[in-house]
Amino acid sequence: MASSYPPPFEGTGEVKEGFLCPLCLKDLQSFYQLQDHYEEEHSGDDRHVRGQLKSLVQKAKKAKDKLLKRDGEDRPDTGSYESFYYGGVDPYMWEPQELGRTRSHLDLFKKHRAARIDHYVIEVNKLIIRLEKLTSFDRTNSDAGKIRAIEKSVVSWVNDSDVPFCPDCGNKFNIRNRRHHCRLCGSIMCRKCMEFVPLPLAQKLINGTREALCVPGSPSQSTSPPAVGGSSGTMSRRGSITSLSSVTSMLEEKDDEKIRCCHHCMDTLLKRQEKLEEKDHVPDVVKLYERLRMCMQKVDEKAPEYIRMAESLNAGETTYNLDTAGGLRLEVQKYYELIDALSKRILTLGVKDDPQPHPKALQLQRMVRYTATLFVQEKLLGLMSLPTKEKYEELKEQRKQEQEKRLQQERLASQEALKRRQESERNRPPVSTNGEVPQAPRAPRMTKAGGWLPTADSTSVRSELEDPLLQQIENIQSFLRQAREAQRADEVAMLEENLRQLQDEYDQQQTSIAIALSQKLAEEEDLQQGEIQRLEAREREERERLGHPVILTPPSFTWERSLRINTTGFQGEDDTETEELTPKAEKSPSSVRAFPALATQEESPPRLRSLGGHVTPPGVDGQSSTSLNPFDEEETTPLEEDPSNPFSEDIKGENKVAANGKKEYNPFDEDEDVEEDKQAETVPGNPFEEEEEADAGNPFTEASGNSLGASTNPFEGDNDENLPDLDMIEEELLLQQINNIRAYIFDAKHSGRLDEVELLSQNLKELQQTLQDQKQKKH
Amino acid sequence: MNVTLAVKQYVSKMIENSGPGMKVLLMDRETTSIVSVVYTQSEILQKEVYLFERIDSQNRDSMKHLKAICFLRPTKENVQHLIQELRRPKYSVYFIYFSNVISKSEIKALAEADEQEVVAEVQEFYGDFIAVNPHLFSLNLQGVSRGQSWEPSMLARSTQGLTAVLLALKKCPMIRYQLSSDMSKRLAESVKQIITKEYELFDFRKTEVPPLLLILDRSDDAITPLLNQWTYQAMVHELLGLNNNRIDLSRVPGISKDLREVVLSAENDEFYANNLYLNFGEIGTNIKNLMEDFQKKRPKGQQKLECIADMKAFVDNYPQFKKMSGTVSKHVTVVGELSRLVSERQLMEVSEVEQELACQNDHSNAQQSVRRLMQNPRLSELDAVRLVMLYALRYERHSSSILPSLMDELSRRGVSERHRRMVQAVVDYGGKRVRGSDLITPTDAVAITKQFFRGLKGVENVYAQHQPLLHDTLDQLIKGRLKDSQFPYLGASSLRDRPQDIIMFVIGGATYEEALTVYNLNRSTPGVRIILGGTNIHNTKSFLEEVMSATSHSCDRSQGSSRHGNRR
Repeated sequence: MASSYPPPFEGTGEVKEGFLCPLCLKDLQSFYQLQDHYEEEHSGDDRHVRGQLKSLVQKAKKAKDKLLKRDGEDRPDTGSYESFYYGGVDPYMWEPQELGRTRSHLDLFKKHRAARIDHYVIEVNKLIIRLEKLTSFDRTNSDAGKIRAIEKSVVSWVNDSDVPFCPDCGNKFNIRNRRHHCRLCGSIMCRKCMEFVPLPLAQKLINGTREALCVPGSPSQSTSPPAVGGSSGTMSRRGSITSLSSVTSMLEEKDDEKIRCCHHCMDTLLKRQEKLEEKDHVPDVVKLYERLRMCMQKVDEKAPEYIRMAESLNAGETTYNLDTAGGLRLEVQKYYELIDALSKRILTLGVKDDPQPHPKALQLQRMVRYTATLFVQEKLLGLMSLPTKEKYEELKEQRKQEQEKRLQQERLASQEALKRRQESERNRPPVSTNGEVPQAPRAPRMTKAGGWLPTADSTSVRSELEDPLLQQIENIQSFLRQAREAQRADEVAMLEENLRQLQDEYDQQQTSIAIALSQKLAEEEDLQQGEIQRLEAREREERERLGHPVILTPPSFTWERSLRINTTGFQGEDDTETEELTPKAEKSPSSVRAFPALATQEESPPRLRSLGGHVTPPGVDGQSSTSLNPFDEEETTPLEEDPSNPFSEDIKGENKVAANGKKEYNPFDEDEDVEEDKQAETVPGNPFEEEEEADAGNPFTEASGNSLGASTNPFEGDNDENLPDLDMIEEELLLQQINNIRAYIFDAKHSGRLDEVELLSQNLKELQQTLQDQKQKKH
Repeated sequence: MNVTLAVKQYVSKMIENSGPGMKVLLMDRETTSIVSVVYTQSEILQKEVYLFERIDSQNRDSMKHLKAICFLRPTKENVQHLIQELRRPKYSVYFIYFSNVISKSEIKALAEADEQEVVAEVQEFYGDFIAVNPHLFSLNLQGVSRGQSWEPSMLARSTQGLTAVLLALKKCPMIRYQLSSDMSKRLAESVKQIITKEYELFDFRKTEVPPLLLILDRSDDAITPLLNQWTYQAMVHELLGLNNNRIDLSRVPGISKDLREVVLSAENDEFYANNLYLNFGEIGTNIKNLMEDFQKKRPKGQQKLECIADMKAFVDNYPQFKKMSGTVSKHVTVVGELSRLVSERQLMEVSEVEQELACQNDHSNAQQSVRRLMQNPRLSELDAVRLVMLYALRYERHSSSILPSLMDELSRRGVSERHRRMVQAVVDYGGKRVRGSDLITPTDAVAITKQFFRGLKGVENVYAQHQPLLHDTLDQLIKGRLKDSQFPYLGASSLRDRPQDIIMFVIGGATYEEALTVYNLNRSTPGVRIILGGTNIHNTKSFLEEVMSATSHSCDRSQGSSRHGNRR
C-alpha cells in the first residue's frame, strides 16, 4: 500500500524553523535549551530513535520500491528497525478518553436480595433455635418416648394421614416404607430421603451463631471448650452404642447422637456451617501472599527512588550520595530475595500433601509464582548499576567540563541579563543520562556527614529490629494472641510469664546500651571540642585503610560490633516463620558488609520502623496512647532540619538557585552554578576547587582534597566552614540518640517498669540539655 | 474514540473495583476473546488476577480466598450459570459485570439466588466487541445473512455490539446507511431503537458536530476481500489467519513448540506496532535490522566470562533483551513462513494479475493474464478460483466474457465442485445486481492510477494499486459530498457540517486492507477520527465462507452459524 502513504511531512501544513525538538516539534529558543529539553523529555526514549530520525527521509523513499527488490539491498546507515510517523493523527495517539458508559444495577439487586435474605435469615435462625432446644436435654439417658415428646413439643409434626407419598421421592408410604418426621420443620419424608444432624455439628452451629452475636473479642465467649468436650464425649460414647443403635434403629429409632431432619433443613444448616468455618479460616496461601504483596509494594516505593539516584549519579550529578544509593540498592535487592523466597513457598504449598490440592489451587500457586518472577525480572534487572568510585569521579569531571563549555557558549550567545535568567533556569539540568556512562564521585564532605549521622540512627533501628530478643517477644506476643483467641487460659498464663521475662531482659539490654551510648556521646563531645583535628586525621587513616569513603568514627565502630553480635544471634535462631513475618531490608551476613553504606540512608530508618510497627500489632495494640509512641518519631525525624541530610540539600540547592550569582561558600552546596561561577572567578586555595580538579582515579587524593583542603591544617582557610559542619553532625547524632531513648522509654512503659522509665527519662533530659548547650555554642 | 483503550479501561476498572487480593476472572466464550485481545496474560497477572475461568466450566474448585470478577454477556445461559454459581458460591465475593444491557427481571432472579450475600457489585460495562486495533473492532460473527436479509440472532448480536461500541466511546450518533442494502437499514433501525429505548444511557455531553454512524454492506464491495494483501497485518491474516490477534502456526513445517501459537498484538509488541501497516518488503528489511540489533545486543559467550562490565551491561539490558529475543524469533518465524508461502504459491505473479483485474479497465490484457496464469501448474486452487472470481465480478457484463472457458479451465485443473460453485455465489453476493455504488468504473480506475503514479514518481508498485471502495465513500463523507440518495440519514435530521467522529460498520465483515485505509485517512485528515467495525474481519477464506452461507441459505445455514469463532 505504499501509494497510500503520503510523502513525509506532506500532511503538516506549516513549515517550522529554528530549534525544533525532533520528537515533539516544540520550538525552543536556543540550541542549549533544545538540548536540555531533549534530555529532559526524551532521554527515556530508546536511543535508537535518534538514529532513526536521521534515516527518516531515506527510509520513506526506499519504502516504495522495497517490494520489488526486498532482500537485495542493505541499509547499513540505519541501525534500527523501528518505524516512524508521517504526521497527522495516528489512532494510537488519539487523546486519552474517559471510561466508557457504565450502569449500576446494584441498588435494584440489593433491594431484591434484601427481601430474600430476610426470609433466609429467619429460616436459618428458626432452625438453629429448634436445634438448640433439641440438644438442650440429656438425650442418652432419656428414654425414647420422652425424647419423642420433647421433640414433638419443639415443632408440630405434620399429620401422618396428610402425606400418603414421600414429598421428595414420591414413593408411597406403607408398613415397610414408613413415615419419618423432620425434627426441625415437622415435615414427613421416607427413610431414604432422611438426613441426620450429628450432635457435634449441631453444637457447632448453635455456638457459632451465639458467638457471632457476641461482641467479637470479648472474653465472655468461652463457648468453644464445651463444644469440644461435647463432641469428644459423643465420640467416645459412640463405640459402645453403635451395635445397639443399629439394632434399635431397625425397629424404632432412638436418635441419641443425631437429630433426624429433611434434606432441606440439612442443606440450610450445612450452608450455615460452611459460612461459619470460612469466617476465621485463612489459608496459608493468603498469609504468604499478603506478605509477598507487601514486599512488592516496598519495592515499588523504593525502586523509583533508587533509579532516580542512580540516574543522577550516573550523570555525574552530586545531588545524591553514592553510598546512600548503594545502600538503597542493597535494600531493594533484599526485598527481591524475599519476594523470590515467598513466591517459591507459595509454589510448593501443599504439593507434598497426600490428597493433592485441586489442580486449580495448584494453578493459582503457579500463577502467583510466575507473576513474582516476572516482577523480579522486570524490576530487579532493570535496576541500573552504580558507577564505581573512580568512574563517578570521571563522570563528575566530564560533566563539569561540559557545563563550563556550555556556560561559555551561553555567554557568547546571549546578553548578560538574559544569560543570568537562563542560568537559573538551567541550574540543575537533568544531564545526559545514558544509563551506562558512569561518573565522578560525590563531594566527600557529604560522604562524611552522611556516614556519620545515620550510623547511629540506623544501627539503633537495626538493633531494634534484629535483636533476637525482640524477635522472640514478637513471636510470643503472637502466640499469646492466638492462645487468647482459642481461650486456653493456662497457655496464656504461661506465655505471659515468658513474655515478661523476655521483655525484662530486653529492656535491661537496651538500657545498658543506651547508657553506654550516652556516655560515649558525652565523651565524644568533649573530644570533639578539643580534638577535631585529631579526629579528622583518624578519619583519613580510616578511609585510607578501608579504601572506602565512609568514615567510621569510634562510636560507630562500637555500634557495628554490637550489631554483628546481634546479627549472628539472629541467624542462630531458626524461627523462620517470624523471620518472614517481618520483612527486613537486611538479615543475612551480607548486611554487615552493606552496613556502612546503608547507614547513610537517611530515609530508611523511619520506614523500617514503621514497617516493624505495622507487622507486630500486638506490641502496639491499645498502648499507643503514649505520646512517645514510635510513630511520632517517624513524623519528627524528617522534620528536623538536618543540614547534612542529602535530601535537604535539594532544597538548599533550590534556595541557591534563587540567590544565583552570589558566591557563598556553603560547604554543602555542590550545585554547578557555584562551580561555574567559581570557575569564572577562580578563587585560589578554595578546597572545593581543588577537589574538583583532583586526580579522579585516586581515592586518597580525593579524600584528602575534600575534607582537609589543600593544606594539611583543616582550620586553615576553611575553618568556619568545617566547624559548623561537625557541630551539626554532632547535633544530629544527639537527636538520633534522643529519639532512640524515647523509643526505649516507650518500650519500658509498655511493659510497665516505671523505674526504668525514670532512668531513661533522666537520660533523655541529659541528652536534651546537651543538645541545648550545643546549639547555644553554635550560635 | 480508541476502542482498544475503551475495553482496556473497562477491564482495569473492573479489577480496580474489586480491591486488593487474589482474584479470578470468570468469563464466557465471547468475553474471553474480548479481554484476551486487549490484555496479555502477564499484564493482567500484574493486576492480581491469577485465574481465568469459564463460567460454564465444571472443573472449578471452591476457593474462598479468591475474589471473583465476572465479565459476562447478558445471555440467558450466562444468567443461569451465574444463578447456579451464586447458590453455591465458590469464591468469597462476586463482582458482576455484564457486557451489555440486562433486563430487570434477570437482575431479580440473580438477587434471589444470592442468599449468601456474596455479590458486591452488579454493573453494565459495555465492552461487547472485539477491539482488534485502536480504530478497528469486530464482532467475530460468521454467516450473518441469509440471502439479502439478516439471520435474526445475528441482527440482535450486531445491534448489541454496535450499541456497546457507541456506549463505550460515549457517542450518540446520527445514523446513515447504505440504501441499496436492506440489511443496513434494518441494523440502522435496530440501533436507533435501542438508542431511543435506553435514552438515559445515551445521554452524553453534546458535541458541536454530532458523531456519525455509517452502516455499509459488504456486498457492495466483494472485490477487496478477494485480493492478496501485502501489508503485514493484512498479509498475516490472509495467509495464516489472525484470530483474536493470534496466529496458529502449528502447520508450519518444523515449528518449535512455543511458537505453535503466537500473539501479534500492537499493544505490547513494539515491532509489530511499528510494522503492522508496512508492506512486506519493508518488513523484510526491518526484520533484518531487528536481527542485527538483536545480535549486537546479545553478549558473546567468551566476553561474558572475561569482562565483568560486559556482563553488567548484559544484565542491565536483560529485560529488553529477553523481550527482544522473544520478538525476534516470533517475527522471524512469521515473516519466514509468509515468504515461504509467497514463493510456494507464486503470490507475486498472482497478486499482479489480481491488481490488474481490480484496477485496470483493459479486458483483453486482463483475460490474457488470467489465462496465462491458469496454465501455471503451481497456482494453488484457492488462487485460481479467486482469479476467476475477480474476473467474473469485474467483467460480469462484458460482451466478450471468457468466464465459461475459465470455468472449464478450473474443472480441468481439478478444482473442487465446492470451489467452482463459489464463483457463482460470489457474483450472486456482490454482483452488479446487488451493488448500490459504482464499485468498478473507468473513471475510478483512472483516478486511482493517476494518484498512484503521482505517489511513486513513475515507479509503479503493481501490488498496491487497489484502493477499497470504502476509501472513496469515506473521502466523500469527510468532504461532505456523500450523496444522501445513496446513503440516507435515518430520521429527519441531517448533518450540516462535515463529520468529525465517524464510526463505520460493515455488515458481512471488514478487511484489514480497509482498516489500513481508515488508518491512513485518520493520519492524513486533521480533525477527523474514524473507526471501522464489521461483523467480522475477513480474509479470502472466511469471506468465501460468509458468501456461501449467505447464498446457500437452505443447506449451509447451520454450518455457517456454527463456524464462527474458529475461522481460519
